[in-house]
Amino acid sequence: MAKLWVVFSREYLERVRSKWFVFGTLLGPVFFLLVAGAPRLIGSRGGEGTREVARIEVIDATGAGLGARIVGALRERYPLSRTPTLTVVDSAGIGAAQDRAVLRVQREEIVGFLLLTPATVAGDSVRYEGRNANSYADVEAIRSTVRTQLLAQRMEGAGIDAQKVAAFSRFRLAMYTQRIGDKGRENANQLGQIFLGYAVALLLYMMIVIYGQAIMRSVLEEKTTRVAEVVVSSVNTDVLLAGKILGVGLVAITQVLSWVVLSIAAMRYGGHLVFGEEGRAAAVAAASGTAGAGPPMLGILSVGIPPVPLWAAVALFCCFVMGFIFYASLFAAVGAMVNSQEDVQQAATPVMLLLVSSVVFMGPIMANPGSAMARTMSMLPTSAPIIMPLRITLVPVPWFEVVGALSGVAAACAAAIWLSGRIYRVGLLMYGKKPSFAELARWIRYAR
Amino acid sequence: MSELAIDIRNVVKRYDQHVAVSDLSLEVPRGSVYGLLGPNGAGKTTTIRMILNIIVPDSGSITLLGQSHRASGITDRIGYLPEERGLYKKMQVRRVLRFLAELKGVKRREADERIDAWLRRLDLKNGDRDWGLAKVDELSRGMQQKVQFIGTLVHDPDLVILDEPFSGLDPINAQALKDAIVELKSRGKTVIFSTHLMDNAERLCDSVCIIARGRKVLDGGVAEVRRAHSGRMVALAVEGEARHLVAPVLNDKRLVARVDDHNRYYELELAAGADAQEVLRCVVATGAAIQRFELVLPSLHQIFLERVGARGIEEGMTGHG
Repeated sequence: MAKLWVVFSREYLERVRSKWFVFGTLLGPVFFLLVAGAPRLIGSRGGEGTREVARIEVIDATGAGLGARIVGALRERYPLSRTPTLTVVDSAGIGAAQDRAVLRVQREEIVGFLLLTPATVAGDSVRYEGRNANSYADVEAIRSTVRTQLLAQRMEGAGIDAQKVAAFSRFRLAMYTQRIGDKGRENANQLGQIFLGYAVALLLYMMIVIYGQAIMRSVLEEKTTRVAEVVVSSVNTDVLLAGKILGVGLVAITQVLSWVVLSIAAMRYGGHLVFGEEGRAAAVAAASGTAGAGPPMLGILSVGIPPVPLWAAVALFCCFVMGFIFYASLFAAVGAMVNSQEDVQQAATPVMLLLVSSVVFMGPIMANPGSAMARTMSMLPTSAPIIMPLRITLVPVPWFEVVGALSGVAAACAAAIWLSGRIYRVGLLMYGKKPSFAELARWIRYAR
Repeated sequence: MSELAIDIRNVVKRYDQHVAVSDLSLEVPRGSVYGLLGPNGAGKTTTIRMILNIIVPDSGSITLLGQSHRASGITDRIGYLPEERGLYKKMQVRRVLRFLAELKGVKRREADERIDAWLRRLDLKNGDRDWGLAKVDELSRGMQQKVQFIGTLVHDPDLVILDEPFSGLDPINAQALKDAIVELKSRGKTVIFSTHLMDNAERLCDSVCIIARGRKVLDGGVAEVRRAHSGRMVALAVEGEARHLVAPVLNDKRLVARVDDHNRYYELELAAGADAQEVLRCVVATGAAIQRFELVLPSLHQIFLERVGARGIEEGMTGHG
């Protein structure tokens, strides 16, 4: 135990003392603040479409006056934008009108054009071409405007009073959502929930990648500098490996905690620079509400943090600790297998793939956290440390699933430690070429 | 208390196709300087790693200072300098040494005091500069060797194991190492070192063991070993012009097994069944003017060549362990 402490404190202190750690710890919150504040600083409002939306040409080949309605609606909805222009053509003139509009877009007089045809009136299709055709928010804003106006026109055609239709269709429907958990309604807002889940999962992933690889490099360093042999003559390799993983793991925890504290401080004293007064107040309130239970980015987001129940926080912590141990032992084995910096990245690829495979599914899982894929990924030991926290923050997860996933990860941990311990023991003193799989198998057998 | 610092009995270590150490038994008396000699790849490093419990033997037993080599705490009494040396490059010298001392169970304050004394003794800390505060990679290679050496001895071990300690040392550090070995012995410590440089071993060791291809060739006190091989070596010097006269005698395989020409004199190993007197008679008969004809104790180097042979070295060089 005394030796474990010696190894552990060397790993921890040497890292925490390093300039890079101090640098990363101080700059982390600034970085998060900027990332979180970037949308506001750049000035876009997500979901509503940009002001540029209305700076378009509407080519109306319907012969039914739909274009005029749409132009009116866009003008009303985006009063600050440059007015959309209307060109009415017959079906023979569509091609020429399109060519002219393309030229106007090229000359930057307009950002795009909307082509209304009889198919539009029939409710089938409408065509939009423009510089922002890849912007989901802009295109969706235009589509919904066309849809609303088409609906209004049809109602008028059915003899409903034009004034009344205009009055009926002029409303904005906001949607409020409420999550229901096992104990009934939960006090949470969806946006905050999604941000929390995303932030937690991403942070776990980042920490495992950064500090898992730190362990790998540390093992490799001991090997290439040949210091390993002196050390293993004084201390059992299992103790050495354990001290290393615990020491580096605590560095990761230290970093996250420092980020949380510094982010709250940065928000309180520097938040108004990025978010303005209102955002700052909201975020400070939200951040101090959870008193550091959540990751730092949340403090910055003005959407507010949903409260995290204690058991979930404990589960998150367990996920991090065991996920870290699992991947850290694999990384340590990789470090013990190779002999040079050039080889190590290549040898680490399988471990990185395991890690990345859980992150690439984050998008679909966030979109549908109850899906079979989400459940499977959150139970699989290799992805559970990242995906289970994501699910826990998004939807209520039955306790037995959480316990099941954690026990799975614990079992995987034990296996990884056993395997890595053996590879580590033999590999640490093996210089020369990279081992083949057959040799690796032999190492595992040789180890006592 | 056992009289033996190291007692190795019938130790075997086998890798897939090849046997690194085969049925090796060694006894290293306490308070002695012991040399483990052999060509590269003879199994010296494997043996040392087994003593230190870094590698586990397939069979046999190892006892250190009267205890099993796997007993807890026994490694704290051993100082080890591996053949492949290195330190944490980015760490401060003092912190590296403190780490190594604490790994051996030395309390922090005491470690700091000892480190300070050692740094002064090896001139790494003087009026001008305290290299203990520098990072390891700021030190010259010679200074790093000194630091490594302090790391081996800082916990004042009872048993010191040095694997090829003289390889790569500059003459000043080699002298310092030799002095330290002698001083350790005078304080009753046991020193065992491996080397393929026989001269070093002959000058420093009380006892030696020669191993080749994983097997023990011979062992015992240096003086006994040399005496046991005496009577077979003759030093012969003749006047310069007479060198060609004695050539037929030297080439006579019935009389002389091997000739080592040292320029100023020859060293002859007598053929089996040949007698020194007969050789002398033959030399006299050639009419050469003899300056010296003397029965000499063979050097370890010669004994090594005689017992292991050039063939053993060749095979050893291509071995794995």
